[in-house]
Order: sequence, then structure tokens, then C-alpha cells
Amino acid sequence: MRLARDPRVLGVLGTLVLCLAWEGIGASGLGGFTWPPLSRVLAMLADPDRWDLFGRAAGSTLASAVVGYIFGTLAGVALAMLTHFLPRLAPGADRLAAGMHAIPTVALAPVFLILLPADSTPPTLAGIGVAFLVYVAAAAGLRAASAAHRDLFQVLGAHPSARLLRLDLPAGLPSIATGLRLAVPAALIGAVIGEWFGAPRGLGVLIVNGMQNFQIVLLWSAVLLVALISLTAYLIAGAIERAVHARFR
Amino acid sequence: MSGPSGAAIALHDVTRRFPLKGVPEGVLALDRVTLDVQPGEFVALLGPSGCGKSTLLRMTAGLDTPSTGTVRVGGETPAAVAARQGFGVAFQDHALLPWLTVRDNIALPFRVAGKPVNQGRIAALIALVKLTGFEEAFPRNLSGGMRQRVNIARALVLQPEVLLLDEPFGALDAVTRRHMNLELQRIWTETRTTTLLVTHAVEEALFLADRIVVMTGRPGRVAQDLPVPFARPRPVEVMREERFHEMQDSLVLALEPEAHD
Amino acid sequence: MDRLLRPFIRDWWGILLLLLAWQAWVVLSGLNAIVMPRPLDVVADIATNLPVYLPALGISLAAAAFGLVGGFMLGLGLGILTWASTIAAGMLTPVTVLFSSVPVVTLIPILARLFGYGPGTVVAITVIISFFPAFVFSSAGLRALPPGSADLFRVLGASRWRVLTSLALPAAMPNLAVALRIGAAHALLAAMVAEYLMGSSGLGAMFAAAKSELNTERALGASLIVAAISLTLYLLSLRVEHWARARYG
Repeated sequence: MRLARDPRVLGVLGTLVLCLAWEGIGASGLGGFTWPPLSRVLAMLADPDRWDLFGRAAGSTLASAVVGYIFGTLAGVALAMLTHFLPRLAPGADRLAAGMHAIPTVALAPVFLILLPADSTPPTLAGIGVAFLVYVAAAAGLRAASAAHRDLFQVLGAHPSARLLRLDLPAGLPSIATGLRLAVPAALIGAVIGEWFGAPRGLGVLIVNGMQNFQIVLLWSAVLLVALISLTAYLIAGAIERAVHARFR
Repeated sequence: MSGPSGAAIALHDVTRRFPLKGVPEGVLALDRVTLDVQPGEFVALLGPSGCGKSTLLRMTAGLDTPSTGTVRVGGETPAAVAARQGFGVAFQDHALLPWLTVRDNIALPFRVAGKPVNQGRIAALIALVKLTGFEEAFPRNLSGGMRQRVNIARALVLQPEVLLLDEPFGALDAVTRRHMNLELQRIWTETRTTTLLVTHAVEEALFLADRIVVMTGRPGRVAQDLPVPFARPRPVEVMREERFHEMQDSLVLALEPEAHD
Repeated sequence: MDRLLRPFIRDWWGILLLLLAWQAWVVLSGLNAIVMPRPLDVVADIATNLPVYLPALGISLAAAAFGLVGGFMLGLGLGILTWASTIAAGMLTPVTVLFSSVPVVTLIPILARLFGYGPGTVVAITVIISFFPAFVFSSAGLRALPPGSADLFRVLGASRWRVLTSLALPAAMPNLAVALRIGAAHALLAAMVAEYLMGSSGLGAMFAAAKSELNTERALGASLIVAAISLTLYLLSLRVEHWARARYG
């Protein structure tokens, strides 16, 4: 009975129920022909003949997401540092970040579509999503040092750069690491939506093609692949976050 | 280094008002306080909580500025002294950086000052505060007393002109606190750095200081300026002497006059 | 005048800078106005073509609003269900994990195929997309009780219903406000993406049509309207959130 209340056991059980329901609804035809059973989706993903297709698409999407992730992180941290040294800029920077975040990616896509070549829209949209989350996390993190630590550095006559390097940045790392974890799905959303707006290749392209051409199993496989990539990256980022929290707090 | 008056720390006619909503003139926290600390002297600021003694210490460190009056350390402004790393500070919150080892925490003032880290000096200080063997430990793995030893070592590492201590053992239990006072007495006797200690513990002040300045609260004023007659080095037995107890009683009375009316 | 202008620039310099950069970039690069219109051209197109924009906007907003309300009710209902049953809560943790780790927006093409290209599909999609934040935040909020309060209610012999209405729901209000803010952004995004991908009706479809006709002014007009509405919604829901925190937090 204790075992049945363990949240981990229940979580696994819930995942199992979810998978069984997916399979059952698909196999029985309850969901119509557009709901394939899980086994057929997995079979397609496991089919070596398809690996080339999925591999190229996933590689392209992943590359967009990674490029966006890196540049978004740099931009977010840089903006947070700017407002850290020039606090007068903070309210406007907050609005800018909130504005960019509140505006649906769909609304931004056309602007970049016109400004940039089609294959650079996915990384750009990924970068914008990441930049907002990292900016918010980094701005909060750079303010996280305790009053006692700040007093210490002031009495020690610390130069602002020494303070940033030896106090504010290390004290902010846990918050930045949390932001980096939350930014993982944001990077993939940006990449996939960017691909929907007309990139030559990628999982987003597979998804849209699958939808428009009634390649139902392909559609579900590509979506599942995006989810699996995101989940894996998210778990890795979570492990890094825990390590940073243990070290810097 | 000393100013024209020869004092290492000179607080002159210091008044501090804190702004308060609805009170245009603000709240008077310190009222015309004058205090001199001579080079090599250990002065304890003793008073009830809220009497402004910590504010005085923060002003000396340049963390706060007086509304009127002047603060000079070695004849200079606190900011100038801080800029050349002339202060050593240890506050009640040990303020050790959790991501640095004991050794790196003690080395921090060197790095902040952009000076080469003197590893010999650090090793000597670690030995002085009896933490040999804990050089690579992180603060979270140390006891409260050990953290304060690191804190004291860090305060001393740059051989400061002035040592500022604000209830450094305030968060420790009574037994550890007494033990740390013995240690601080021993360490101080070796360095003889000009020291200003803020405390509300009478025993601590009597055991450590050359002079006790008693403050009263609301607004903060100097009530008594009392030399401590015990010779140095002071063995722990000093605390059992008749005169120690007499002074302790009269100081306790001075701190809480209304409780004994 | 100065008293008004200064705070305005302090709060909005980021977004103003962005618009200025856009205008300056188009002017300086000498791009053909058909390829890349200036912000003022876009505003002019909106102002002169209100009969085209307004019905599309109405359709998108209605879909987002219905979806938000439906998804919110569904999420809150399931949140209360998991509050009442630890087993249900444990089984549904995978849903919570998936919401935060996987780009949920990628489900839209699957949902579009499942429900078919009908007029109700956009609403169904926004319901499902805005369900996720509502469920995740309401189930977390119902458990975030003030310390000791659950014991107090147990000592008082309060019924389960009374604990829910007098303790858990009020305690969840700040979290519900967060769910509303995130849900509102999600709903509008989902409605736009669904309309764009299916090309049915509303601003998303209008944008898709404008894009294929190379009518960049119209496409950007749709973007600008969505952006303005998203930002307004975001600022409004931030107010609601502050109020909920002050009142119940």
C-alpha cells in the first residue's frame, strides 16, 4: 500500500496509462484514422529506412535550437549585465523583454521572414524565446547576493568588475541555471515554429508536410521526436542545474 | 597612519537621522556622538539593541554616512581607506562565499584588491585560527564557530589598519561564544590591530577591550567611557575576579536602568 | 511635459528603440517598400483597411477567449480532482512534467488533423493548449497552503468541501492568476498558429493569405495587431496577478 502512494511509482503508472490509452484508442479506431496507435508510431521511428529522413530533419531542428539557445543566452545575460551596471535602464529593458515574450512567436515570424533568409528564421525565433527567459533569470540572479556580502565587498574597496566577477555572477549562477533549464522547450518551440513559416528542412517541415499530406503516422512520429529531444535536453539541463545549485548555494 | 588628532578612528559630533514616512524631520538614531580610538587600541561599543552602535560602526566602514558631523579613519574618509583595503571587517552574518573553500575565502581580499595571493600569509592565518586541515572545506560543511574563525582570518589577512567587528559571535551558542572570545583575545594580542567591536554582551566587552563606550538608545548617545583595568595577556581566570564581576554588574545596570528602578 | 515624457522613455526605451531601428533600417538600406514596409506604412494599412482587419481580429479573439475559458475550467477541474486524490495526482505528474519540458505548441498540427479542418477546431485547439498551464498551476496552488493552516482546519473538523472552498482555493489564487497570464498568451498563440496552419479564418489565416500573395504590409499589419493585443493582455494580467498576490498571497 505504501508502494502504491510513492509519487515515482504513480508517475510511472501514469505514463503507462497514457501510453496504453494512446495505443488502445489508436488500435480500436476510437480516435478515427488520424489517431495512430503508439506501436505504429514507434515502429516508424525504429524503421532504419526512415532514419536518414528523421536524422536529417532532427539534426537541422536541433542545430537551429542550439544556435538560438547559445545566442539567446548570450543576449539575455548581456542585457541583464547592462541593467545591472546601469539600473536606470532596467524598467525599459524589462518592458522590452516582456513585450518580446508576450508577443506570440507567430506574430514575430513574418518580420524575420522578410528580414532574413528563410533558414535563419528558426534559430532567430529560438533565440528570442531563450533570451527572454535567460534575461529574467539572470537579472534576478545578479540581484541575489545578500546584503552582508555586498557590504563586505564595499568595505574591501572592490572595483565593480571585481564585484561582478567574484560576487554577483557566482551568486547569480543558480538562478541562471534554472532559467537555462526553462529555456530548453522555448528554444525548440522557436525552432519548430520558425520551420513552419517556411524553412527548407527540419522536424517542423516534416510535421507540416505530414499534416497537409495526411501522412498521419509521420506527423505523430515527428511530433514525438520533438518531444523526446526536448525531454532529453530538459533532463540534462535539470542535472546541470542541480549541480550548480549544490556548488553555488 | 593617524590624523591630526593622533586618533586612528575619529567620529566627531556625528548625528544620523533616518527618514520615516509622515515624519518630515525623520527619526533621530544618533545624537552628536563623539568617539576617538587610538592606534593599537581595542574599544568595545556596548549598548542595547537599537542604540545606533551598529550604525556608528557602519559609518566607520563607509557603509553609511552621517547626517551631520565627520568620520575620519587615520585622518582620511572611510571611502579612501576602503579603496586601499585598509579595513578588516567581521559581521554577525559571517558573509563567507558559499562557493569558495576556506582557503579561497581567506584569499578573497587579495583577489578583490588585485594583489598577488600570499599563500604563506594565508597558511599562517589558518594556523592562527586553528583550522589547519580544513583548507579545502566549504563553509556549508563547517560549524558556526569554525565559520566565524574563517571570518576573523579573512578580516586580518591584509593586515588592516583598522579591524571592525559587529557582534561577530552573536549567532553562536553561549559556550562556543566564550571559547571564541578566548581565541580572539589570543589572536588580537599577537596583532594589536586598532579594533572597534560592537556588542551587547557585557562579559565579552570586559574580557576583550581596553576601553568600553556605553551607549543608550533612542536617540543613541554616549553614556559612559570606561577604561578596562585588566593587564594583557588576559587569562580566562580574569572572568572570575571580584573586580570583573563588580564591573560586570554595574555595566548591566547601566544598560538597563529602567529594569532596576 | 517633461514630467510625463521622462517616465515614458524610462519604461519604454527598449520597444521604442526597436521600432526606430526598424524604420531606420528600411530607410537606410534602401529596400523596396514592397519587400519591407516601414512601421508607419503598416499602421497606415491598418487604419485604411479596418473592415478587413476587424472581422479577422474578432474571430481570432473569440477563439482565444472561448479556448482560454474552456481550458481554464478544464484545468482547474482536473486540478481539484488531483487535489482530492493523491493517486490521481501521482498518475497525472507526467502531464505536469510534459508541460514544462516539451513544446506543447507542436501538438497543434496533430489536433488539427484529429478534429478536422472545421470551424470548431481552432477553439478545441486553444482549449487544449490553455488547459496545460491551468492544470499545472492550479494543482500546484491548491497544495501551497499557509503553514499550519491544514492542521487548523483538521482540528476544527472541517469537511473536505469546506477545506477546498475556504482554504485551498483562496490559497491557490496567486497561482491561478499566473495560470491566467500564461494561459492568455498561450491561447492567442495557439489560435493564431492553428488559423495559420489550417488557413481557415481569422488573423492567422489572413496572415497566411497575405504571405502567399506577398502582401507584406498586410502580413505585418496582422502581426502588429496581435503584438499590441498580446502586450495589452500581458500587462492587464500582470495587474490581476499583483492584485491576487496582495489579496491572497
